[in-house]
Amino acid sequence: MKVTLRFFARFGELLGKDRVVDAPENTSLADLVRSAASQNSEGYGSIFDGQGKFRDFVIVMRNGKRVSVAVADRTTLSEGDEVAVFPPVAGG
Amino acid sequence: MLFGEEGQERLKDATIFIAGAGGLGSPISIYLAVAGAGRLILVDKDTVERTNLNRQILHHDRDIGRKKTASAEERLRAINPDIAVEVVDTTIDETNVHELVGDADGIVDAMDNFPTRYLLNRIALEKKIPLFHGAIRGLYGQATTVLPGKTACLQCTFPHPPPKEVFPVVGVTPGFIGMVQATEVVKYLVGTGELLANRLLLWDGERAVVEEVTLEQNPSCEVCGGKNQHGDAP
Repeated sequence: MKVTLRFFARFGELLGKDRVVDAPENTSLADLVRSAASQNSEGYGSIFDGQGKFRDFVIVMRNGKRVSVAVADRTTLSEGDEVAVFPPVAGG
Repeated sequence: MLFGEEGQERLKDATIFIAGAGGLGSPISIYLAVAGAGRLILVDKDTVERTNLNRQILHHDRDIGRKKTASAEERLRAINPDIAVEVVDTTIDETNVHELVGDADGIVDAMDNFPTRYLLNRIALEKKIPLFHGAIRGLYGQATTVLPGKTACLQCTFPHPPPKEVFPVVGVTPGFIGMVQATEVVKYLVGTGELLANRLLLWDGERAVVEEVTLEQNPSCEVCGGKNQHGDAP
């Protein structure tokens, strides 16, 4: 199945912004992001901790709606889904 | 005129609390002043430094070394002598935020850190006044409007702050996000248009793209969870 994965802001700078991924059926949201992020260790480390869990500030969206990072491993994707991953920014 | 005499009167009768006179607070306060927002309360504790000047357009080269509140007050009074400008040279904290915000009609988040943002969020919920959030980093920015009792609060949307860092800032980015926030304030006060309610605007200045994501209240939000949606302050 084809899903679109988008990294925003700092994540996009490190990992590239948009891509269409041909993922196996029933891929979890977390696995999709882990796989794509693993190409760049700094990018991976900015999103995931040492145990491969999403860092708590990371925002993950599926088709425009927020998915709690706590359930990203249990959230399976469907053909045509769009996943967005971004960090809040804090400057002013 | 877009919102007529009545809209202008509403602006004139309004008090807006602006937390921060830096990259976001500068353009926001300038545009609210020229829009005729009747009373602006501006809080900042810092002194003007040379590195501020790429974005903090309330402060000029000759202000280096002065308190930001001093140059901000001088500049805003010069821009519009018909409005009331109050500046407070302090750090916003638990002990003073209630009194500082007072009876303001809205809170503008022009801060540079999440702990103070969370504090502003809590006081906005408590006083049932909107919080106009904005934040930037480099060429990226975000903005949303929190309407207590109606939308996700700031803690619902950002339950955990990003790691602390020294932010790279391209000066135009807070200008862009600050204009989004000031636009929200004006629309809210005159009662026109559609606010960034339960919507997070994301600005990617590198690609010149504006994105939007839908926000939802978090029923287990430790600040507003459950209660906010019924309009009760926590």
